[in-house]
Amino acid sequence: MFIEKNPHNIKAAELVVGIPSYNEAERISYPTAKASEGLIEYFGDKTSVIINCDNNSRDGTREAFMSTTTEVPKIYISTPPGIKGKGSNLRNLFKKSCDLGAEAIVVVDADLKSITPRWIKNLAGPVLEGFGFVAPLYVRHKYDGTITNNIAYPLTRSVYGRRVRQPIGGDFAFSGRVADIYLKQPDWSQAVAEYGIDIWMTTTAICHDIPICQSYMGRPKIHKPKDPGESLGPMFLQVVGTMFDMMIEHVAFWKEVKWSKPTAIFGFGLGEMEQPPPVNVNVERLYEKFQEGIARHEALIKDILSGNHHRKLTEVKTLTLRDFEFPANLWAGVLIDFGVAYKNSLKKKEKIMEGLIPLYYGRTCSFVIESEPMTIQQAEDFIEDQCSVFEHAKPYLLKRWFE
Amino acid sequence: MKKILIVDDEEVIRMLYAEELEDEGYSVITADSGYGLIELIAREKPHLVVLDIKMAEHHGLDLLQDIRKEFYNIPVILCSAYSSFKGDLKSVAADYYVVKSADLTELKQKIKMALEGSIWHKPSTE
Repeated sequence: MFIEKNPHNIKAAELVVGIPSYNEAERISYPTAKASEGLIEYFGDKTSVIINCDNNSRDGTREAFMSTTTEVPKIYISTPPGIKGKGSNLRNLFKKSCDLGAEAIVVVDADLKSITPRWIKNLAGPVLEGFGFVAPLYVRHKYDGTITNNIAYPLTRSVYGRRVRQPIGGDFAFSGRVADIYLKQPDWSQAVAEYGIDIWMTTTAICHDIPICQSYMGRPKIHKPKDPGESLGPMFLQVVGTMFDMMIEHVAFWKEVKWSKPTAIFGFGLGEMEQPPPVNVNVERLYEKFQEGIARHEALIKDILSGNHHRKLTEVKTLTLRDFEFPANLWAGVLIDFGVAYKNSLKKKEKIMEGLIPLYYGRTCSFVIESEPMTIQQAEDFIEDQCSVFEHAKPYLLKRWFE
Repeated sequence: MKKILIVDDEEVIRMLYAEELEDEGYSVITADSGYGLIELIAREKPHLVVLDIKMAEHHGLDLLQDIRKEFYNIPVILCSAYSSFKGDLKSVAADYYVVKSADLTELKQKIKMALEGSIWHKPSTE
């Protein structure tokens, strides 16, 4: 259910660009203008519309969106007052896009500062060529996207066997048929209605054998980056909780998967790679939060981890910040143990996730220290090595999951 | 028996890989350039391709794109004397990237993994 403002009375569109938002009045005009330019420049022969799917923002987001000068018509839709979440916004977008009969739907974040008209081409283009779901591929600073680098990418890759480098990138495209598949899914948890939506969309596409590709955006993603030690917020719980929920639901799919396969690439020939802006991380704060958190959740962590992993964690706990290292194989084992505890409802799911947070701080702290002298490419190789460790841990996941 | 296609412009490399991989129980065919590569793959239907990057007349990353357009699911292992091409986003389309070495342990391991990984993988068409 959504509130709608459709001043041009648009009833059909072949292409839709959706911009989910909540209190983005200061930023939404830029991606809106670029989306319009991209639709006109590259898809001028198709009917199109830009939709702001909002959470009833009170900061003037709707006015900022609707007053942005664009050649492409705009529609504003919003959840009713009191209903929040990016997932709720995107569900409204799926519904509206299906009603409009859209062939391709592009989603871009409202806080994007680096979007160019070409992003619209590179996201929508593969859908019009037959791909069902398109994930973005862009260069990010090694400390931007720590949930992606340390959990979402390696876990999705090792569990489902598909290498999607930015599974929660926030900028996607999908076909009208896939929007319809999304709408028909029964597993709309509260986490999916919020920040869990991105990993839910990627995983649903993988598990429905939707043809997937990654599209190279040409420019780095520049948005509001967050220091993972300062502002993790509910995003971690919603993304990782959704990943565990989907592992439970799609076990028949992933239990047969071994190793991983690459995903098709689209959009080369965009010139030199632009370097992303630096992201500052407070390593001391991460280390403190790791130490404080494992002390606070000591009993819970001991109950969840295997004896071997708990012994290794006890060793890690004794390391000073100067020598600190949280090995990738321990991290893979920890995530598997927590996923199994989540499945078995060993404790309340919220409690389980709270116990995982300090361990994530520990792994992130280690990642930042180890990759500090590395270039972005070297850090990328480091992440690939971590993925290999996760893939080699798959037999352990299968053993624990089915015991 | 699994059939492997080696594409490399160095004869010594082709001979070494063929001998070592045949000892592992694979059937091996070779090509010294990218000319007619797509037709060769269509005709011979190898289970996996080991592809050099820096060749005299072709660039392996361009050939990889051509292969992916025609044969999306065939496992391709990039095998180069240079590690620097890992930084090229085009290399992401390969199953694995191996830096050439006299010790073929890593290459053999990646071949095994790529062949095992392709068993479950379904073709992508919408």
